[in-house]
Amino acid sequence: MTAEAPLDVLIVEDEVLLAEELGFLVREAGLHEVGRAMSSAEAVALACQFTPDLALVDVHLKDGPTGVDAARLIVEDCGAVVLFMTANVKRLPADYAGACGVIGKPYSERSVTSALSYLQVCLREGRAPGPPPLGLSLAPRYRELWDGGLAETG
Amino acid sequence: MPDASSAAKASGDPLEEALAQKSALLHEVDHRVKNNLQLIASLILLQSRRTPDEAARAALKSVLERVTAVATVHRRLFQNDPLRFDVADFVRDLTADLAAAAGRDDLDVVLDLDHVAIPAASAAAFALVVNELLGNALKHGFPPGRGGRISVNLADLGRACVLTIADDGVGMGGQPPGFGSTIVKLLCQQLHADLQVSDAQPGVRATVTVPMGETPS
Repeated sequence: MTAEAPLDVLIVEDEVLLAEELGFLVREAGLHEVGRAMSSAEAVALACQFTPDLALVDVHLKDGPTGVDAARLIVEDCGAVVLFMTANVKRLPADYAGACGVIGKPYSERSVTSALSYLQVCLREGRAPGPPPLGLSLAPRYRELWDGGLAETG
Repeated sequence: MPDASSAAKASGDPLEEALAQKSALLHEVDHRVKNNLQLIASLILLQSRRTPDEAARAALKSVLERVTAVATVHRRLFQNDPLRFDVADFVRDLTADLAAAAGRDDLDVVLDLDHVAIPAASAAAFALVVNELLGNALKHGFPPGRGGRISVNLADLGRACVLTIADDGVGMGGQPPGFGSTIVKLLCQQLHADLQVSDAQPGVRATVTVPMGETPS
């Protein structure tokens, strides 16, 4: 477990101060940041270039409410798992555009670090270590996919 | 994705169109408030990371906790009725966050919460009161190595709701009241609430009785 390399994370957020703080939280949770994007085009380009394991994607980007479409491309074309971080949880499509879940803004730094550690386990082991931590909602498809751990505890 | 406003435009009903426009505007403002609260929290955290002085860092941390309490309110606002605020859901969120932040697995936090809705206008004040009382119990009631239990109770009495936060920790021990107790006293005045803090032997019991059915300004 400890010998495994930390997951690579791409941050897609047009507020640079939020992105900066998110960078600290990614490191604190034991993951590795590979880049930051502010627009949807930049996000998709960086995702395909760096092939991160996880992309943290805000819905509102520099070029408008384009995060949902960007997420779909990142999932389908670049093979990354996407986690939305948005103040507009209600506006997400029912299939989460292929993303694994969402953290609603405003989030606490603790809910972000626990969600990231949780997802790191889910992605490595293909199953959840338990129910998701407070603040993280999983997409229906991923809830089913990572169901192993949930069935035991829940 | 087609939203309500474009659907109304398609239907051609001017009244529906105006309503959809208003609702889109409300969502836009809601979205900005949430983002700006996130921005404030990030600013405080970033500054705290560059502050070597421990006392200054502790002060920034308590500011962050208070901002987070207000932010938790806004995350919950507009989820259902925009004018009413469900206190029980909020208390559950905030308690989980504070307990996790304290990182103490020797503390048992027990919740017993009736569903109580207060006016959204009072929500931030109420949230800050809960934050201070619960924070006090977590921070001062249990020195390292001293485990125990904190109970958070919210009761709907019809004309009033009663919040009780009680712990079986080491008690007040003649601690001088700090900024936290000033906040609680002032906000209870604003909420027209009655505040009782007593020695529970052991521990501290704080009771806040908030009258319902009126809208405090």
